[in-house]
Order: sequence, then C-alpha cells, then structure tokens
Amino acid sequence: MARYLATRVGLGVLTIFSVVLLTFLLMFVVPGDPARAIAGPRATPQVLALVRANLHLNEPVMTQFWRYLVGMLHGDLGVSYIQNQPVATLIAQRLPATAELGLSGLALELILGGALGVWDGLRPKRSRLLAVVNVGLLSVPTFSLAFLLLLAFGYELSWFPIDGGTGGSRIVLPALTLGLFGMPYYANVVRDSMQETLAAAYTRTAVAKGLSRGAIIRRHVLRNALSPVLTMAGLDFAILLSGVVFVETVFGWPGIGQLQTQAFYDVDRPVLMGTVVVAAVLVVIATLTIDLLRMLIDPRTRVQAR
Amino acid sequence: MIAAGAGTTADRRRTQPAGLSVSDLHVRYGSSHAVRGVSFSVPAGRTLALVGESGCGKTSVALAVSRLLPAGATLEGSVRVGGLDLACAAGRELRDARGRVVAYMPQDAMAALNPVQSAGRQIAEVLRHRRGLGRRAAAAGAVALLAQVGIRDPHTAARRCAHELSGGMRQRVMLAIALAGDPQVLVADEPTTALDVTVQAGILALVRRLVAETHMTLVWITHDIGVVAEIADDVAVMYGGLIVEHGPVREIFERPAHPYTGALVRSPRLSRRAAAKEPFDAIPGSPPLGEFPPGCPFHTRCAHALAACAERMPETLQIADGHRVACHLTGQRA
Repeated sequence: MARYLATRVGLGVLTIFSVVLLTFLLMFVVPGDPARAIAGPRATPQVLALVRANLHLNEPVMTQFWRYLVGMLHGDLGVSYIQNQPVATLIAQRLPATAELGLSGLALELILGGALGVWDGLRPKRSRLLAVVNVGLLSVPTFSLAFLLLLAFGYELSWFPIDGGTGGSRIVLPALTLGLFGMPYYANVVRDSMQETLAAAYTRTAVAKGLSRGAIIRRHVLRNALSPVLTMAGLDFAILLSGVVFVETVFGWPGIGQLQTQAFYDVDRPVLMGTVVVAAVLVVIATLTIDLLRMLIDPRTRVQAR
Repeated sequence: MIAAGAGTTADRRRTQPAGLSVSDLHVRYGSSHAVRGVSFSVPAGRTLALVGESGCGKTSVALAVSRLLPAGATLEGSVRVGGLDLACAAGRELRDARGRVVAYMPQDAMAALNPVQSAGRQIAEVLRHRRGLGRRAAAAGAVALLAQVGIRDPHTAARRCAHELSGGMRQRVMLAIALAGDPQVLVADEPTTALDVTVQAGILALVRRLVAETHMTLVWITHDIGVVAEIADDVAVMYGGLIVEHGPVREIFERPAHPYTGALVRSPRLSRRAAAKEPFDAIPGSPPLGEFPPGCPFHTRCAHALAACAERMPETLQIADGHRVACHLTGQRA
C-alpha cells in the first residue's frame, strides 16, 4: 500500500512537472509581447528593453523556466505583470467564489443527472425524458445555455440579479448552467451502469434470495452502479475548482476562470501559468483521492494496490 | 472438516420436506423453443441428475424451475413443490417461495456473488430476510453456515469478498446462501464444472451429506457423467429440449436404452483413452440449437437411425421399473 501510494504521488509530481514545462514553452509560442502589453503601444524601444530586463525576459527560456520552477517549489508563483500582486494572492482571493460556483454546479449535475439516470436505468427501455435531455442539452453549447438562462430568468422574468458578482441568489443561474451542462453525461453513465448491474449474475442471486425489488436495488444495484460516477465527479470537481472560464465570464462571476481570461488578453504570463499550475495540482490530487475512495468502496481494486 | 454437528441442520429445519414435480414444461426465447415439454418428478430427499450436452436445454429447465428465466423468456407447464405451482406463482407468492421453496446454485459463483460485499454479509442477508434474525444473530448464523459447508476458518471467510476466496470456497459460499433459506428444493446448475477434480469431489461429498441430513430435494445439472455416478439417485438425459431417457442411476449406467445415453455413459473412458493416445470416439456432430429437425432430435447424429426417426417423435416407453425411454429402436424391439 505504501509503495503504491509512493508510486502514485511520484507519478502525480511528474504529471504536474510536465504540465508546467509544456505550458511554459507554449507561452513563448503564443503571439504577444508582455513588455508591449505592460508598457503600452506607444512605448519607446528603450522602455521596452528596460521592461524586458526587469522581467528577465532576455534570459534563455530554460533559465527562465528554472527560475519559475524554483519559485514554484517555494510557493512563489511570481508577480502579475499587470496587477503587480503575487499570483498566489490573486488566485487565493478568487478561490472562494470559484469553489462556491464549482461545488454548486457539481452538486446540481450529480443530483439531476444521478436522479434521471437511476430513474431511467430502472426501465428496460431508454425513456423519452432521457432522449429529450440528451438531444436538448448535449447539442446545446454551454454559451447558448448560459445566455438562454440569462435572457429568460435574468432579463425577461427578472427572478435573479444579472449585475455580476457574488452573493444572494446570483449563484443560481451560473450553477444551473453548469448543472444542466453536466447532467446528461451523468444520466447516461448512471443509466448504462444501472442496466449492467441489473443484468449481473449477482443481481439474479439477490432475486433468488426472495428479496423485494426495493431491497435488491438498494443493497445490490445502486452501490455497484454508482462507482463509475465517482470517477467522473472527482475529475469534474478538480476541473470546476480550477475555474470555469466561460460561465464565469458570461455571468460576471469573479472567479479563477475570469482571472485566467483577463490574463490571457493581457499576456500576463505569471497569472496564466499560475492558474494552469493550480488546475494541474487539483486534478492530480483529485485523481489520487478518487482511487483511494474507490478502494474503500470496491474491494476488488485493493488487490492491485498491495 | 465439519464444525457444526449433524443435528443442527435437522433441528433448524422448519419446513416439511417436499418433492418436485415438473410436468409438460416448455421454455421459449422468442422463436427459439429451448425446452419442448419436459416432465419429471423427484421425491423428497432424492437427487435427480439432469444430464446432457451444452445447448440441450438443461440450464433452461433449471432456470424455469427456480423461476429465474431472463425477461423475455416464456414459461409453460407446471412446477409443483408441495401444494404450490411455481410456474404460476407471481408477485408476493413467488417472492416468498424464492430461496425458501426452491433455491438455485449457479455455475459461475464468482459472477453470482456481489463483488463488493463480504461472503458473510451475503449469507446473513438471507438469514435476516427469511428468519427475521437481527444483525448479530445473522452474522453468527452466517459463520455457522460457512462452517457447515466445510470452510475451515469460517470467521475469516465471512469477512472475505468473492475475489479473495478460492473457486471451491466461492461455491461453498453459494451453497451456504442456498442453505440459509432452508429450501425444500435445491437446483444446482453445474456448480462444480469449473473446479479441480479434488475440490469437486469434496463438494459432491458435502452436498450428498447435506441432502441426507435435510431431506432436501436436489436437482443436479451436469454434462459430466462421472459426477452423475457420484451424486444421483435418478438420471434424466436431455437432448434437443426433451428428456430422452429417465431412470434410476444403476439402470442408466448398466442398461442405457437410448443411443445418446449409451454414448454419454461410454464418454468418461475418453479421458483414459486420450492418455493412452488412442483416437477419440466422441458423438459426431453437435446438438441442434433452437431449430429442431422433425422426428427424434438425435436422429441426425445417431448411428442406428431408422427411417421413422426422421419422421416422427418416438413415444416414451416404460422398459423397466421407473426406467423410461423415447426411442424408435426400443419400440421396435418390444
């Protein structure tokens, strides 16, 4: 077990390192000159040179990468070119808003998708409701869904404020967008998993015991059917916590996604890098947690871990 | 090997032993007619071996008798245990009968055990449900049952999940689940087929002893004629969805009347011949699946087939006490 954990953590560190390296190199491929973005379009070459020297932009890429890596290991993600604040502070400030939105969205997609999946999974044929949800929600891109909700419930009906920011009922529409967006994926996975479990030989054993349908489903079907959901939810958790760019932008939600978008326009490399690093760390931690949780739920996976 | 005394099983028994009587059983999967009018009866406490190659319909009979046919299969005929016709039972009546009137033991115990629940919990579930035991009493009962089915360290085994148990132990756990319901009839569908010969012998001895103690009625499905000699009182030979020969085990082995039975009875010698590098003389061809030829289903593979065999189904004739056969050859001789 200890050896398994050590291997997994080692692999996680390697993953994060690769993501950091790749993103860092990509920053230099993407067009845009941070010095120009900082100094403005009318800056003289001398000013630009000075800015570059200050930011160590003249050094070889690998030297810059080394500098970043050492800083990162000390918890220093650099200083924003534009906002002159430590990146770590900027992200920390926005984490609560992102967490609030991400967790609400995750809860909604789990509840909506899980309920629909279980309900549909108990019928032999795919229900019309699931078909409608599939066509209706899978084919609609997030941004149309976000705008539709904004238009209908924010603008026409005025049920929710649309002035941006957090607090009060402002969470409802962006969380609902995330929930509706994720719902069909969960519904389909849960349905397929329910059908598979219902057809399993051990479900037949439960029938042969003379148990009621409710007891069979509660004790033998649900727990076994819900295990793939754990994997999905864990990854979603990591992705949602590292910021949802589009939904945050549409609803003016001041989270990490919005910070990332702004940093992209500003060629604010440290902030961009910072958000990517945080996302990578979250995903690695989430996958590890999922695997450990799955071992708790499903004893079969424990054998390989020994 | 056995921890619990022989008395415990008999003391625990609350239901009267009852025999099984199946008549004119038909099973259809859509247009495929898997079982075409099968009748047999097993007196209480006796063991019937249902023998035949894969595809002859024996598993369909097992699932029909246990009322575990998959959705989409249709069942006709009657399956009587005591005063109850299982074939007609539905809803509450059927649920009450499951595990108590008839229990089913499948071939693949690995798949039949819930992979994420301990063996003890899956046995205890039946004890709680069927005997209304509390959590602790049921857990203790599960351990006692595991001991009864010959598991040496029942406390440890009770905590194990299917993948942590050996093949023989898994089958013993399935047997314990079946016994937990205190069934009148146990239908075992090739439960030892996947096991080593020595493990199989241990389980056969155990089942034989349990049948003697509890007066359970046992239907043992197998394609292995060697197992039949070990466990059965009577033998029913199935071919093409029909019972072609039925009789006491000695009769069947010593005077097989149907050519198919004759070939089956000679088949165990095959393994010895293989060791001696002699050529096989297996039954040529394979059994028909779903679509049956007119007449006797075996006539396409039968070395002694007559003209009549391809035209009409032979009648079932009684050739000795309790020994019945459906073959035109027998009819001619008589």
